Amino acid sequence: MADYAKPVPAPSTSTRFFWEGCRAHQLVLQRCSSCDAFRFPPSVICPECLSTDWEVAPLSGRGTVHTFGVYHRLYHKAFEPELPYVVGIIELEEGPRLLSNVVGCRPEDVYCGMSVRVVFEDITDEATLYKFEPDSPP
Amino acid sequence: MATNLRGRYAIVGVGNSPLGKVPEMSSLDLFVMAAKRAIDDAGISKDEIDGLITRGPDDVNVHHQRVGQLLGLNVDFSTSTDNGGASQILNVAMACMAIDAGMCTTVLCGYGRDAWSRTHRNETARMRVATTDPSLARQEFGPEFGLFGAPANYALAARRHMQLFGTTKEQLGSIAIAFREHAARNPEAFVRDPLTMDDYLSARLIVDPLSFYDCSIFADAAGAVIVTSLERARSLRQPPAHILGFGFGNNLRGWHHDENMVDTGARRAGETAYRMAGVSPGDIDAAQIYDCFTHMVLLQLEDYGFCEKGEGGPFAASGALTLEGRLPTNTSGGQLSEAHAEGMLQVVEGVRQVRHDYGPDRQVRDAELVLVTGHGGATVCQSALVLGRDR
Repeated sequence: MADYAKPVPAPSTSTRFFWEGCRAHQLVLQRCSSCDAFRFPPSVICPECLSTDWEVAPLSGRGTVHTFGVYHRLYHKAFEPELPYVVGIIELEEGPRLLSNVVGCRPEDVYCGMSVRVVFEDITDEATLYKFEPDSPP
Repeated sequence: MATNLRGRYAIVGVGNSPLGKVPEMSSLDLFVMAAKRAIDDAGISKDEIDGLITRGPDDVNVHHQRVGQLLGLNVDFSTSTDNGGASQILNVAMACMAIDAGMCTTVLCGYGRDAWSRTHRNETARMRVATTDPSLARQEFGPEFGLFGAPANYALAARRHMQLFGTTKEQLGSIAIAFREHAARNPEAFVRDPLTMDDYLSARLIVDPLSFYDCSIFADAAGAVIVTSLERARSLRQPPAHILGFGFGNNLRGWHHDENMVDTGARRAGETAYRMAGVSPGDIDAAQIYDCFTHMVLLQLEDYGFCEKGEGGPFAASGALTLEGRLPTNTSGGQLSEAHAEGMLQVVEGVRQVRHDYGPDRQVRDAELVLVTGHGGATVCQSALVLGRDR
């Protein structure tokens, strides 16, 4: 893992809880203590009701592909082995949308509305990425 | 009750820099060259300019303080705005408002950038394009997933539109081909080679569903305009391009929020601009629509009311955007073929069309009303301008 060459997320004060959750293989976001809305991106204030009271709450890790693109052009050398790769917007069951990769299937098998679930990838000793794979039928 | 500024102000001079590969000029050089041409076109002295509004603010762009220094200007009112490609029309509108408030009388607006040279001037520049600015490695929620480059957010939006409405690649291709045909008539356009549907469909994918010809081109380019009162315009050299309406819509909650990548802020921008101008979409004779990517044209055709939501694809594919079509669009070639100056060249072209500057090969016949649009600022800012012919 020491030679991981892709960009590594650089947590800020307001996002540290999120990445610490990933490190523990748990997808978490802030939930407003006043109106119960989950929010993304992280912030000290609720964008729905402007309450400053919140808690970190676990998510189911399930969602659907809202939309996606398939990278064919190389923009960063470390991604060369991944081409073509899928960058998608995942709408979580709890509402917020996260940008991530859809993995575990061929790019041509991805579609808008596809059910997915989170998977975690430990990329360095300190950092873990959240990605999504097809949700197997119950 | 707000004052309606309809028709009280006008664009009285326009200019553009050399376009395409101009490696000997910086962004500032390109812009001051366009500004000089706009000043000459208006037939005024530079010392009559007492307002300056450019698109800023970083060193890539043309900050008003540097521009004023290079043009030898002390002015009363100046600033640089930061709404991306929506800035250009915002700047023209701010010029009208500043004049109306008595802050100044004659305002230079515009933008320029050395986007081709910056990315192709030498091997270092080319490598930077190929591998992305290393500073991105310090961000989060994007580059760690391989999100790089401008096309990605538009690919996400194009996919969503295709999913909801059955929009096709051929429909997007008809936009690129129409604008290329217009560029072929424009001797200053950067890319004028014929483009066929086969060329379009067989081009390499960038971020699927967008391929090479869906993307606007890096170019060295600048444009400038002079705004003043209609009263003052009457004594100047050119027929004034009347500023009849402008409007804005900014979906600041983000491109990924709600259906913002399908229903853009352009709808509100258009409603405001049309209401101010006292016109409806059916009155518009020609359009200059911000075309960073083909798909963005399609969205705006819908949001500015030229067709229903979801019908942008069939509308474009019907031939409506050609010089002889229902809505001749991007008549100088647009950013997909003429050159990308974040919408500034489209303001310039809108003025030239309502002035009837061209011969029959490029002039939209009987053009009385032209819509110009802007878009940018991480995809969420929209701006609209309705220009009218002097009568």
